[in-house]
Amino acid sequence: MESYTLIVTEKPDAAMRIASALDKKGKAKKLEDNGVPYYVAYRDKKIVVVPALGHLYTVTEESKGRNYYPVFNYRWVPRYVAERGAKHIQTWLKTISKLAENADTFISACDYDIEGSLIGYCILKYTCGEKENVSKRMKYSTLTKKELENSYEKMLPHLNFSLIEAGRTRHEVDWLYGVNLSRALTIAARNWSGKYATLSTGRVQGPTLKFLVAREKEIRSFVPTPYWEIKAEVEINGTTFEVEYEKGIIETKHEAKSIIEACKGKEGLIEKINVRQFKQMPPTPFDLGTLQSEAYGLFGYTPRRTLNIAQRLYLDALISYPRTSSQKLPPAINYEAILKNLSKAAQYRKLAEELLAKPELKPKEGKKEDPAHPAIYPTGNLPERVLSEPERRIWDLVVRRFMAVFEEPAIRQSMKAVILVNGHRFYLRGRRTLKEGWLHFYEPYVRSEEVILPDIKEGEKINVKRVILEDKFTKPPPRYNPGSLLKKMEEMGIGTKATRADIIQTLYDRKYVRDERIVVTDLGFEVLEVLEKYCPKVVSIKLTRELEERMDKIQMNSERRENVLIDAIDILKPTLEELKEKEEEIGEQLSKAIKRARLEDRIVGTCPICGTGKLMILYSRKTGKRFIGCTNYFKGVCNASFPLPQKGTVTPLRRNCRECGWPLVQVRIKGKRPWTLCFNPNCPSKERRKT
Amino acid sequence: MKCVICNREAVKKGYCELHFKAYNNIIEKYDVWKKSSEASWKEYLNSIIKNPLTGEWAREVAEYLIKTVENDVEKI
Repeated sequence: MESYTLIVTEKPDAAMRIASALDKKGKAKKLEDNGVPYYVAYRDKKIVVVPALGHLYTVTEESKGRNYYPVFNYRWVPRYVAERGAKHIQTWLKTISKLAENADTFISACDYDIEGSLIGYCILKYTCGEKENVSKRMKYSTLTKKELENSYEKMLPHLNFSLIEAGRTRHEVDWLYGVNLSRALTIAARNWSGKYATLSTGRVQGPTLKFLVAREKEIRSFVPTPYWEIKAEVEINGTTFEVEYEKGIIETKHEAKSIIEACKGKEGLIEKINVRQFKQMPPTPFDLGTLQSEAYGLFGYTPRRTLNIAQRLYLDALISYPRTSSQKLPPAINYEAILKNLSKAAQYRKLAEELLAKPELKPKEGKKEDPAHPAIYPTGNLPERVLSEPERRIWDLVVRRFMAVFEEPAIRQSMKAVILVNGHRFYLRGRRTLKEGWLHFYEPYVRSEEVILPDIKEGEKINVKRVILEDKFTKPPPRYNPGSLLKKMEEMGIGTKATRADIIQTLYDRKYVRDERIVVTDLGFEVLEVLEKYCPKVVSIKLTRELEERMDKIQMNSERRENVLIDAIDILKPTLEELKEKEEEIGEQLSKAIKRARLEDRIVGTCPICGTGKLMILYSRKTGKRFIGCTNYFKGVCNASFPLPQKGTVTPLRRNCRECGWPLVQVRIKGKRPWTLCFNPNCPSKERRKT
Repeated sequence: MKCVICNREAVKKGYCELHFKAYNNIIEKYDVWKKSSEASWKEYLNSIIKNPLTGEWAREVAEYLIKTVENDVEKI
């Protein structure tokens, strides 16, 4: 049988792109074995490209059973051995193994980062029969034909073992933390209550929850204090302008009132006009974190959603590899070629041509670097299919950001006129753009407020129409949202660009937090309290960051993985002993919190009938039917009750009906679109429907 | 001993750790309120109870304190 080169990729889409790019005629043949796709291409010789499905191997314990801890003995196994619902992986591995039998050359073409390197390594070692030391490596940042061909021609002679070591260590340390601590919590709660509930924590999850709890504590114990602001309305050339008092915050009502009295009915005099020009620098190219924050701010997409969309665009060869922490755009990516290709799209033609007319293209870069990939940039390819609206938005954002970084800074002018009113100063502020620069390229995504002031001169007298006193209160610190939390994790150096979004999602899935403006639930509080009380080291942000740094050092060959693993176990051992010793106490605390969380889940809102009780989803003892009832029923105060649909699931929406102000619930029935239900029988919306 | 407001373990002055933090905030911020708007202790507590910016635990403590306002005035 003809021998061939076997290329392993991370995902099926990447396999298809690589095979098509490497095939002489650009038409690789798609074949299937037991439903597993692979591609055959011809170049200098026959090439078979087979995809993985992300990680096909995982870490699991040596011995069976899930009901014990500590566990320090582990091994790498195919995912179907360790995970329920991963049976399809077995077929996948069989196909790869079969294809490896007749291959004489092996190449890993998985994404060039920790995860991709580990995926390729595991397949080459375990599935292809210890081929990891004879395998070569393709390195690329985009799935464009040109770059893939180049990466094949100039492939690296061997795998990047330091990346692999770093990946293995990260997975093993995370597994040790996750399995042991999660089991300790789950087993403690189950042993105390006799009921099972999944509780989890991990090396990064705990410290992340810690930020959220710290913020929640500040918000919940916040006491606002009063202060006052003074504004005035002045008339200049027939137009009214609002001016602000020189002191932004006035601490006492007495002082505020005396200023108002002094300025009332008095004329204003323009004492001074300050005009200042300043440069507004272009933004830096997107690394994953800034793309996720920007997409959250502009479109409200969660970090995980943005990553998924970016990943799809990458697999469509529209943008470069998104899991990067780089803010650099090396000239090797060929700025000019990208812009020329982008200019083929009507919406970018004019902008791209403007940039191409420049004598030199030099991007404004950020400080962050990534040894494996440049910042996220458009490849210049245009979509071969109709993009969904979210995909179109993210692609457009990446394209415009890319163009903006090559542009000149914007030149803005700020103007401050000082108006003297009976010895008190007020400021009239204006702001305008003198030269758009990069703002023109990034226009839909950047807000530049323009306040153009009238023609005024120093010494001019103006009419003060009104002086306004505003009562204000200090505000609690803002709640984190998925975007700002991701930024915080990045700032604190915990988690990786690839895992942060998933960690935030896990906090939601475990019901430790809820809502978009993140609120920590009682369960979240209790879990963190247990961790802080019995194992403060595992939620220490400092220790987590240090461990993170040491794992990064493995990647640079300046730390040994064995040392990191031994130290991780040294931290975990005494912690787990303490948890085991206090299991009953912890179990009681967590079980009560779980019970409260489950009750909280069923609370619909305040009872609109009695105004003091809470409406809850209850079940009739007699009939077993589901309904909404008031908690005050048990005190004999209120007997409000409302029927509910008996099929599907009903979840409180935590918002009120626009028509009647009663709380709303959502009903989900399999196969039907979920709908919002106002259970108020007299809601005007229902009345209208009847007529 | 249990917290006078919730079911948690009381750590100081009859409050659990969380409500004690809120209690401390209420005491500290009273000086600012007194200076800025000359509010009495009772007026202050009523104002923060009504204020939507007040945190949940601080409101609970304020509601509890208002019930025992006479004693607290003496203390302060």
